[in-house]
Amino acid sequence: MSILPQPAKEPAVTRLPAGAASDVTAAAPAVALAAQGRPRSLMRRGWEVFAENRLALAGLAVVVLFALFSFVGPLLYSTDQVHANLANSLLPPGGGHPLGTTDTGFDELGRLMAGGQASLEVGVAAALLAVLIGTLYGAVAGYLGGVVDTAMMRIVDAWLSIPPIFVLIILSVIFHPGPAVMIVIIAVFYWLGVARLVRGETLTLRTREYVQEVKIVGGRAMRSVIRHIVPNAIGTIVVQATFAVADSILILAALGYLGLGIQPPATDWGAMLSSGLTYLNDGGWWLIYPPGICIILIVVAFNFIGDALRDAFETRLQRR
Amino acid sequence: MPPGCVTVTAYLMRRLLQAIFVTFFVTVVVFVLLQMLPGGPVRALLPLNATHYQVVHLTREYGYDKPLVVQYGRWLWQLLHGNLGYSVHLNMPVSQSIIQALPKTIVLMALSIVLALLLGVPLGVYQAARRYRAGDYVLTGISFLGYGTPPFFIGLLLIDWLAVDVHAFPAEAPQGTSVAQVLSQPNALVLPVITLAFAGFALWSRYMRSSVMDNLVQDYVRTARATGASERQVLWRHVFRNSLVTIVTLLGLSLPGLFAGAVITESVFNYPGMGLLFWQAAQDYDYPVLLGTALIGTLATIIGNLLADIGYAALDPRVRYA
Amino acid sequence: MEPLLQIEDLHTEVRLKNAVVRAVDGVSLQIGANEMVGVVGESGCGKTMTALSVMRLLPSGGSITGGSITLGGRELTTLSDEQIRHVRGNEIGMVFQDPLTSLNPTMTIGRQIARAVLLHRDISRAAAAERAVEVLDLVGLPKARERVHQYPHQCSGGMRQRVMIALALSCEPRLLIADEPTTALDVSVQEQILELIDDLRARLGMAVLLVTHDLGVVAGRADRVVAMYAGKVAETASTGRLFASPRHPYTEALFQALPERVAGTGQRLYSIPGMPPDLTRPPRGCRFAPRCRYAQDRCHAEEPPLGGTADHRYACFLPVPQTRRPPGGIRAAAGTAPAGGPAAPGSELPGTTPLLSVRQLVKDFALTRGTVLRRRAGHLSAVAGVSFDVRGGETFGLVGESGCGKTTIGRLLVGLETPTGGSIMFDGEDLARLSGAGYRRGRRHVQLMFQDSYASMDPRMRVGPVLREPLAVQRIGSRAEQQRRVAELLDQVGLPASALERYPHEFSGGQRQRLALARVLTLAPKLVIADEPVSAMDVSIQAQILNLMRDLQRDLGLTYLLISHDLAVVRYLADHIGVMYLGKLVEIGPADEVYLRAAHPYTRGLIDSVPTADPEAERRRKRSAISGELPSAIRPPSGCRFRTRCPLAERICAETEPPLRPIGTGGRLAACHFPLQAAGARRDSPAVTGSAAVTGSATDGGT
Repeated sequence: MSILPQPAKEPAVTRLPAGAASDVTAAAPAVALAAQGRPRSLMRRGWEVFAENRLALAGLAVVVLFALFSFVGPLLYSTDQVHANLANSLLPPGGGHPLGTTDTGFDELGRLMAGGQASLEVGVAAALLAVLIGTLYGAVAGYLGGVVDTAMMRIVDAWLSIPPIFVLIILSVIFHPGPAVMIVIIAVFYWLGVARLVRGETLTLRTREYVQEVKIVGGRAMRSVIRHIVPNAIGTIVVQATFAVADSILILAALGYLGLGIQPPATDWGAMLSSGLTYLNDGGWWLIYPPGICIILIVVAFNFIGDALRDAFETRLQRR
Repeated sequence: MPPGCVTVTAYLMRRLLQAIFVTFFVTVVVFVLLQMLPGGPVRALLPLNATHYQVVHLTREYGYDKPLVVQYGRWLWQLLHGNLGYSVHLNMPVSQSIIQALPKTIVLMALSIVLALLLGVPLGVYQAARRYRAGDYVLTGISFLGYGTPPFFIGLLLIDWLAVDVHAFPAEAPQGTSVAQVLSQPNALVLPVITLAFAGFALWSRYMRSSVMDNLVQDYVRTARATGASERQVLWRHVFRNSLVTIVTLLGLSLPGLFAGAVITESVFNYPGMGLLFWQAAQDYDYPVLLGTALIGTLATIIGNLLADIGYAALDPRVRYA
Repeated sequence: MEPLLQIEDLHTEVRLKNAVVRAVDGVSLQIGANEMVGVVGESGCGKTMTALSVMRLLPSGGSITGGSITLGGRELTTLSDEQIRHVRGNEIGMVFQDPLTSLNPTMTIGRQIARAVLLHRDISRAAAAERAVEVLDLVGLPKARERVHQYPHQCSGGMRQRVMIALALSCEPRLLIADEPTTALDVSVQEQILELIDDLRARLGMAVLLVTHDLGVVAGRADRVVAMYAGKVAETASTGRLFASPRHPYTEALFQALPERVAGTGQRLYSIPGMPPDLTRPPRGCRFAPRCRYAQDRCHAEEPPLGGTADHRYACFLPVPQTRRPPGGIRAAAGTAPAGGPAAPGSELPGTTPLLSVRQLVKDFALTRGTVLRRRAGHLSAVAGVSFDVRGGETFGLVGESGCGKTTIGRLLVGLETPTGGSIMFDGEDLARLSGAGYRRGRRHVQLMFQDSYASMDPRMRVGPVLREPLAVQRIGSRAEQQRRVAELLDQVGLPASALERYPHEFSGGQRQRLALARVLTLAPKLVIADEPVSAMDVSIQAQILNLMRDLQRDLGLTYLLISHDLAVVRYLADHIGVMYLGKLVEIGPADEVYLRAAHPYTRGLIDSVPTADPEAERRRKRSAISGELPSAIRPPSGCRFRTRCPLAERICAETEPPLRPIGTGGRLAACHFPLQAAGARRDSPAVTGSAAVTGSATDGGT
């Protein structure tokens, strides 16, 4: 039994069914449209669910702030992040350097901006690449089904049981990667999970009645995929992409710590944190906490957003 | 023999076959990586300063001029005999270095899994039971923090606070060649285990929280309440076990990620396990060790996954009596 | 006598995010010891909330805000959590709707019962386990001593519901609350479970509160009936009195909306207009007034109290007078206009050649994997050699319980599945062999209407594009022409043009089913396959849709293939009926002929199992016509597939499969070695008008 309220009636619009019995009094509309006001699309209702989640809004704010900080910040606060200046090595905060300087004399605040660019770029790009590959692979496997699907998913399962760290490190050792290769290396592992989810989603959507109806009215398979399956799987894909950004930033940081990340003078927050940690015992706090907090905040922010997006795309929660 | 046992055996046999397939797949991946090495697989056998003559000589001697399939067959044959190559850097067979390191990593990982589960699972249940209240929010905050903080950051902060400032625990992990030596210094194990467990704790408490919450709205919970069970009985006698089923499936899937944590943790604490072996090999370009460690680490993951499958079969009767 | 359970002016609210639903609003009812009281009403009327309030098991956000509930003189609403727990399971047992999800999947059934016993009885574990065996025996679980070690998923649906009942009865409660206990079950199993509950009530001397939407379920068994509407009691009386002469217009309308009431008469169903009110903002005055055909100004302004006599109470200012109806039924009650169409289903002239001709249709599903385990290959015989004809302009009803293959036939006809064998001739073309452009054109004429109207529309698309899609696929007309066609369709199904801009989720269930009909009609098909078109709906909405389907058939000359488990619905709409069992057609013939003089024991049993909303007939009815449950379609029984459950089965039934043979002169066929028709009809039946005009439609059958 549903305890949910029935939507309010709108007595203004009344129309009797064709051939309806005349004994139905005019006061009682046979069919009245349910909701009032503007039609609410799923996107709109999704946004309402999302916006109700204060943590998600905070997360969104953090992401926007960090993006502005990293990409617009350098225009307002310009520093040299290419040439080391050992004369200014390890200055504490104050004077011309609000957050002090690094061991090689870079301005820490400016470096945070540069590192943020790298972290965000690699994170977002790796996530996009992984989601793109995973979506294509998963959708193809799920749509084709049968033996092809089984074979494709066995490969994914096998791949998933290889600890990524081993291959990541071997590839880093072989290639000495710059940011571009880094993106590819992270995506090579991250697409697996996306592929599994998208494939599962496709399998479910394939059996949906509105997808089958296309076949009943004589439409082709491509129409089902383009008009119905992909738009309805977007939710899963976007949520995965959000989590992927957070995870990619963390993976990049871990590689940075192992000395296999982005090579100096370029840097990312992970590399900054790990080089700063060398001065942990010498009181170099300004080299540790700013990048550390940046990483934690951005990762948590993306996770908050992902959680809320998952709720927003969940139609179960929207039905109210 | 009850009829159910047949299906469990069949289930586990199938998982075993799958594991064998995965192993085969992994050997292919490692072999491909071997081919991708700068200078080809011969480089893996020679020190960095080897001469051109040595390279050509070895290439012929080891058959690296043969077709790839033949090479792969030979390489696999060597693997099956436990021959992972020889490390010039360590001056010992790769297999021997791994035999020394692997048990220690297993100890570290096992302890941290146990710690993470012991903390994460009950706290997840607690959070689900008091969802959307202060306690839940605080723990949610902590677990997000645990998830968002890079493990090396946690490790080094712990060293700074608990080893350097307070002197409560040693900053370096236990040293020694045997597992017994490692276990004889429990004090030194504390920080590495906590570091590795921290991310796991975050994961498990989140998973458990949502798993319990999913189960709490199921119809069978209402039935249990209708028989007069108290909330505590509902939670621990009915919901708990059903929620654990989800967790056990995820346990197997989390192992590869745990290895990543182990590599970092071991390098932070200088813990003489697989991760440290691997990392040092990476810095020394010690290819035989790199590939051997990757291969054995993956096999360990596969076996761990099999164990998780057995646990899953034990917990969920729907697998046993399908 | 002091009533066992006394509910007095109960108010229960459910707090939502932005609103408060007043789910139960001043309900009073009582149950005497050993009495069975039925609570009936449509979804959202508060009947389940009333039951859950008694148990104090309200969903989150729900709370009892007023009134009292006493059990044997003891107030339940003020008990502490600890105290109410000793009432639950101990003094009141409860059975829920879905036995599949209502049992703990990871605990053996014996242990679940033993745990429940240990909560209330200070006995040893061994004694509790013994008690589990005892109650499972009591509810008729075969081999209970072995079954206690099984898990719920190892039991069939009917067995699981027996386990649920055993669980509820394990501590010998004085009151059993059964909330839609048979809604998820097939009719033959429903009959067994209802019989069990009734039998246990007599043997254990307990009272039963039976909550259901199905008037038939309470008719034969409940002593008294409480009809609820919009959180209030509309009417309550003894079962016989309420069914014989309902005084509340709502109750009266409910009866008139039942298809079985007009079956065979050709009359139009009375449908209650509109839908139940929003309980967050209930209307002033009588809550039924906006939908009531008798309502006057006073009804809209003032709330009628629960009046009437002591043994027949109703909340209405203008009760249906007992004189307003002719004695013996409600059929001709005011307001039911006869349909404008044919007076009797049989009287219209069908075309001479069949529009659809299905021959020896076979569909096997290969089994390669299960849900968790991949099983050994095998196949599931879903449809096993089915042949029938459907003539243009008629309605052919395909009836059977879940798993009989009726839905698969529908899917085969529209090309969602490919047949393993046989042919589907539609208008001279074999649908199974169409391809390319022919396929696209051929598809136009046969359309399928799904059961779940919500799932059949893309939630991301507005109604306009949803309805236009078939035209776009078939590349028919310009955009403007398509828009005109869509507007016309909306008008035909009785929806305003403003619906075009809305999304499917903004409509109620009945409205969505209208949209589904509109979409099906977009391509102006000749044959519409309707798969359970009304099974998820409340009676009043169901009547609206059934009437609409009839009107559209008359106006557009449609042919329907109606697939349903509900015999009453099929009989209301169909001219011919085919009865399916486990992939086989066991009987086929003119609707009334099959219904009133069933020849196959399965048809007979199926008809006997359906409870009707007529207490007299229910009491007289032969019970438990079909024993056991459906066998597996992976290894169907040899010979006649029904023999394992057939009361008449003999050796020949296992050895030789009976072919479809003509029975009588009405053009009827049945596949049985021992057809019932020699013995004549068991029910008194009115003369079937014009049934002879409909010639037999099935041809060579059997394999």
